[in-house]
Amino acid sequence: MKSLKILAIAILPLGLIIAAVPENTTRPYKLTAEELLTEVMESRQFMSPDEIAQMLIDKDPSLQLIDVRSKDQFEKFSLPNAINIPLESLLSSEFEDVLNQDVKVNVFYSNSSNDANQAWMITRQLGYSNNYVLQGGLNYWGETILNPEKPAEGSPNEEIAKYNFRMGANQALGGGSDAAAASPGTSSGAPKPVIQKTKKKKGAAGGC
Amino acid sequence: MGPLVVNEIISPETNLFFAFIIGIAFGFVLEINGFSSSRRLAGMFYGYDTTVLKVFFTAAIVGMIGLLFLSLFGMLDLSLIYINPTFLWSAIGGGVIMGAGFILGGYCPGTSFTAASIGKLDALAFIGGLFIGVFIFAEGYPLWEGFYKSKDLGYPLLNNLIGTSRGMMTFLMIVVALAMFWIGEWAEKKFARDDYKINQH
Amino acid sequence: MTKDNKPKKYMNPYIGGVLLGLVLVFAFWVSGRGLGASGAPKSLIVAGVEAIAPAHATTAPFYKEYGSAKENPLKAWLVFQMMGVLVGGFISGAFAGRLKFKVEKSPKITNKTRLIFAVIGGILFGFGAQLGRGCTSGSALTGMAVLSVGGFVTMAAIFGTAFGLAYFARKLWI
Repeated sequence: MKSLKILAIAILPLGLIIAAVPENTTRPYKLTAEELLTEVMESRQFMSPDEIAQMLIDKDPSLQLIDVRSKDQFEKFSLPNAINIPLESLLSSEFEDVLNQDVKVNVFYSNSSNDANQAWMITRQLGYSNNYVLQGGLNYWGETILNPEKPAEGSPNEEIAKYNFRMGANQALGGGSDAAAASPGTSSGAPKPVIQKTKKKKGAAGGC
Repeated sequence: MGPLVVNEIISPETNLFFAFIIGIAFGFVLEINGFSSSRRLAGMFYGYDTTVLKVFFTAAIVGMIGLLFLSLFGMLDLSLIYINPTFLWSAIGGGVIMGAGFILGGYCPGTSFTAASIGKLDALAFIGGLFIGVFIFAEGYPLWEGFYKSKDLGYPLLNNLIGTSRGMMTFLMIVVALAMFWIGEWAEKKFARDDYKINQH
Repeated sequence: MTKDNKPKKYMNPYIGGVLLGLVLVFAFWVSGRGLGASGAPKSLIVAGVEAIAPAHATTAPFYKEYGSAKENPLKAWLVFQMMGVLVGGFISGAFAGRLKFKVEKSPKITNKTRLIFAVIGGILFGFGAQLGRGCTSGSALTGMAVLSVGGFVTMAAIFGTAFGLAYFARKLWI
């Protein structure tokens, strides 16, 4: 009986503590601050409008545009096949499978790149891969794809090629029904981002 | 942050090595508490020796407390640990058959290995029976596969069933366990036998 | 008995329970899973059948489901754990002077009876543990520690049945 009393005295307080303290449901950050800073300095998360336009023209199925603006703004104008995840709902459980995956290339966009970049920072710290940011946001998209600036006479060839590409992209994306207008020859030349296969941590197996 | 092998802090091979070490600790603790004795294990059901009750449930509540504290201190990610699934009918059916095996054989698989390691021949017989039983199940699998896979409830947790937090559930279990231990101590005095010494500290 | 040193006493059960609980928590911390036992005979049977009758192993549903197609049965966590159990039990028995070949039973029955029932009990337990997806260590103890309903259900069924049948099996033990 004596040892039972000792056990009770030792274990009941522990039980009370564990009952009283709320459960730790924080989602831990997987990257250290240093690791994140390195990635931020390299700016590898940005994708230019040209790259995105190319993927859209190619009807690349791995592209998933994500609009992080509010629902109203999304409904007024959005990029082709984009889905809407307002920034404040970024951590909601319904979007976790969209953000934490290794099949598609997610590209966040907002009006400038601010909100989109913040979405990227948070998801990157949670350890998610395959998320990118549209450089310059919709503002820059408008300047380059929707209203490409014609380069002056005598500009280097690549400027002219870029302009031709953007005109073609404009045709293909800006309302023209002729998607074949931009021929493969006028590609923007940037390599498509490689999808990082993440081993989505499935938890331990067990049995018996 | 645990679990170590899931977060790739150790390799799967190291994990197997740890399995061996953990097994040594497991076997040692079982034996030193007398779980290598079938009379002691069966004694649970006649009241003359409630060691099984005390060790088993103390371990269970320490386990509950330990897991929650590790999670609290950020040392273990509870979403990554294995939780055994609930297939209701086979859990009950299997449990009933195991209960019969327990009272007739006097061992469960873990204790039978422990007892065999110190030379108990009845434990060896039990282990032989284990293999036969597994083989029968395997060979006749199509006959009971349906039953085996029926009523898959997923991975329900008891605290969700009664609508409380894990911590609170743990506390309730502690109270229940302490009450059971108290009853067990009473039973040991009442049902003691002349030909059997509990032989414990 | 001419030996004058009695076997050492067993440990205080509450301390023993705490130790066992700590081993359990350690297993979760390292491997993400708790203790177990019945999976080891299963792995060995699957490995054995694959070695002896490979054709059967590729067609029969049980071996297909739990065999090498999914993962090598001999590399199973539980197999290594059970090997450790043999070592650990032996060490403890050796230190306590409990190493002895013996058939444990009630004094009122013969060794033969006891051994027959041990085999029967083993067959029942082996079958039941597969059906119930675990035994007292894996399903009941580990399951309770993670608050799994399945664990509690299996535990209640095992202990309830054993209590219920205790009267009929009493000759074996008392």
